Amino acid sequence: MHETFEHTADVGLRMRAATLNELFAEAGRALASLLVEDVSAIVPRAATEVTLRAGRIDDLLFDWLAELVYMFSAKRLIFASFAVDIRGTALTALLRGEVFDPGRHGSGTEVKAVTYHGLKVQQEGDGFLAEVIVDI
Amino acid sequence: MGDARYSGPLERTGECCWRIPRSYKPGMRVDGLIYASEQLIAGILADQAPEQVANVATLPGICTASLAMPDIHWGYGFCIGGVCATDPEEGGVISPGGVGYDINCGVRLVRTNLDYPTDLPAPRLERLIEAMFRQVPAGVGRGGSFVFNRQELSRLLREGPRALERIGAVTPRDLDHTEAGGCLEGAEPKLLSDRALERGFDQCGTLGAGNHFLEVQVVEELFDDAAAAAMGLHQGGVCVMIHSGSRGLGYQVCDDALRELRDVPGKYGINLPDRQLACAPVHSKEGQKYLGAMRAAANYAWCNRQLLMHQVRHAFADAFEKPWEALGMELVYDVAHNIAKQETHVVDGRRRRVWVHRKGATRAFPPEHPEVPADFRAIGQPVLIPGDMGRASFVLAGQPGSMEQTFGTTCHGAGRAMSRAAAVRATKGRKIHQELAARGVLARAHSHAGLAEEVPEAYKDVHLVVDVVHRAGLSKKVARLRPVAVVKG
Repeated sequence: MHETFEHTADVGLRMRAATLNELFAEAGRALASLLVEDVSAIVPRAATEVTLRAGRIDDLLFDWLAELVYMFSAKRLIFASFAVDIRGTALTALLRGEVFDPGRHGSGTEVKAVTYHGLKVQQEGDGFLAEVIVDI
Repeated sequence: MGDARYSGPLERTGECCWRIPRSYKPGMRVDGLIYASEQLIAGILADQAPEQVANVATLPGICTASLAMPDIHWGYGFCIGGVCATDPEEGGVISPGGVGYDINCGVRLVRTNLDYPTDLPAPRLERLIEAMFRQVPAGVGRGGSFVFNRQELSRLLREGPRALERIGAVTPRDLDHTEAGGCLEGAEPKLLSDRALERGFDQCGTLGAGNHFLEVQVVEELFDDAAAAAMGLHQGGVCVMIHSGSRGLGYQVCDDALRELRDVPGKYGINLPDRQLACAPVHSKEGQKYLGAMRAAANYAWCNRQLLMHQVRHAFADAFEKPWEALGMELVYDVAHNIAKQETHVVDGRRRRVWVHRKGATRAFPPEHPEVPADFRAIGQPVLIPGDMGRASFVLAGQPGSMEQTFGTTCHGAGRAMSRAAAVRATKGRKIHQELAARGVLARAHSHAGLAEEVPEAYKDVHLVVDVVHRAGLSKKVARLRPVAVVKG
C-alpha cells in the first residue's frame, strides 16, 4: 500500500510492502498517482526495461523514482505495472504503460524531482517501509 | 520525520528579527536570523523550517548569518525563503540545494496601457483568458510550441534571451529589464547531461504546473507614486504577472548535481546534518562543474519566461486586434528567486566577492547600485512578490537596508501556510472556480487538484509578509496588484 504524507511545500510518499520488490513497485504506483488523476485509465500497452545500480538501497529508491520522473518529463511515458527485481542494490524492472494522454488520464501534479530529504528504506516488522519527499 | 514543532532557542533581536544562536547545535558557524513579525513567527515555529535555518549555518565559508525571509517555510535541506552567502576564499561552498530544483524560478511583470475595467470588460477578459489558456502551453506532460535543436538550445543556454532575437521574440528593452540582463556569464552547456538537454528541447515557453501561473492583474493601490511612474504603473492599469522557471531541464541539472555530489562532502571533510544540503567548495572541480551547469539552466529559465511573455503579448494582440507594442506591453522587470550569484558585499567591514544563495528569496538592490538598470537607478531595483490567486501581489523596490542586512535580498512570495494535502482536504466538495469568480477572479486550470492545492487560504497573507520587509528596510512598497484572471497548469 502507499499513502501521501504532509510536507508544507511538497509531497511525501510512504510505501509499505512485504518485499523490497513490491515496495519499489508500490513507489512506482504512488508516483503515477501524483502525475495523473486516473491511474486506472493507464493502459499497459508498451513495455520498457530499466536497469539501475546504486551504492545503497535508499539511493536505489531515489534513482528508481528519478528514472520514472525523467521518463514522464522527457518521453511522456506513464506506467501502470511494475515488475521489479532487486538483487542487493541493483535493480531491473519491466514497466508497462503508454504515452500520457491528458484527455484520458487527467493532469495531476507536476513532479519536478525526487529529494534526499528524509529519504528512507527500512525493515518494519515482517516487511519494508519507505519514505520519500518529491518536489512539486 | 521533521514535521514536529521547532523547539530550539529563539531570541528576539528587533522589531522584525529573531535569532537562533550559534550555540544551539554543534557545527553551526554563524547565527540563524529570521525576519518576521510577532504575528508571523508563531506559524514559522510550527514546523522544522527554523531547524533548517540552523542546519544551513553549518556550511563551510558561510558569512555573517544563515538568513530567512518572512515567507520562510519548511523545504528540504534549505528552508524556502532562505539566504546564505559563502566566501570561496574562506573555503566557501556552493550547494545545489541552496538554489533548488527549479533553477532560476522567478517572476516577471508586464505593464500595459489598458485600464480596468474600461478596456477589459468581463466578456473581453473571458476571451482573453481563454486565449491565454489555449495559446500558452501549461500543465503536466505537455511540450511547447517552440522546439529547439541541440545547437540552438546550446545558444539559449549560453546567452539567455539574447539568443531569441533572431526569432523576433525579445527586444533590447526586455533584456535591460531582466535581472543580470537575462544571462549569467560562464554558462557551460556542454556540462549538461543528455537527459537535461532532452528535457529542454521542447519545454522552453511552457508554464508547467504547481504554483506556476499567468495572472492578469490590476494596479489597486500605489504606495510610492514616483517609483510606480518609473515602472510604468498607474492606478487601475492592467498588468500580467508570469511565474515559472527552468522546467525539466533545470530540474534535471539539479538532480544530476545532487547525484554527483553524493560522496563529495565527505571527500572534502564536510559534515552535513542533512544529505539534501550536499555541496562542494566553490573552488573544487565539482563546485565549478555545478556552477557552469547552473548558469546554463538559469539562462534557460530567462528564455522560458521571455517566450511565455512573447506568447502572452500575442494573445493580447489577438484579443485587442492591435500589435502588443500599441498596447504598451513593456516588461517592467524580471527577477530570479531560486539562484546563486557571485556578488560584492561588505562582510566584517571588508568588501568581498561572495556566493549568495537565494532559495525562494529575491534580489533587492537599492538605488544607485550599478547592477540596477538606468531606468530604476533612482528608485531601486523592482521586486515582484506574487501573493495567492485570490488576494494580491506586490511590487516593491530594493532599499539600502538589504545591502546592510541580507546580502541585497528580500522575500519572494506569500509562503505556504498549509500543505498541499491539507489544502485539498480543506477544499473537498467546494467549487474553487466559483469561489474565485465570486471574488472577481476568473480561473482556468488544466488540473482540478492543482487549483485546489493553490487555494488562497493555503498561503500566508502576503500583506503581512511584505509589511515585514518594508519595515525592516529591505525593500519598500510601491504598488499592490489584485488578480482578475489566472491561468494555472
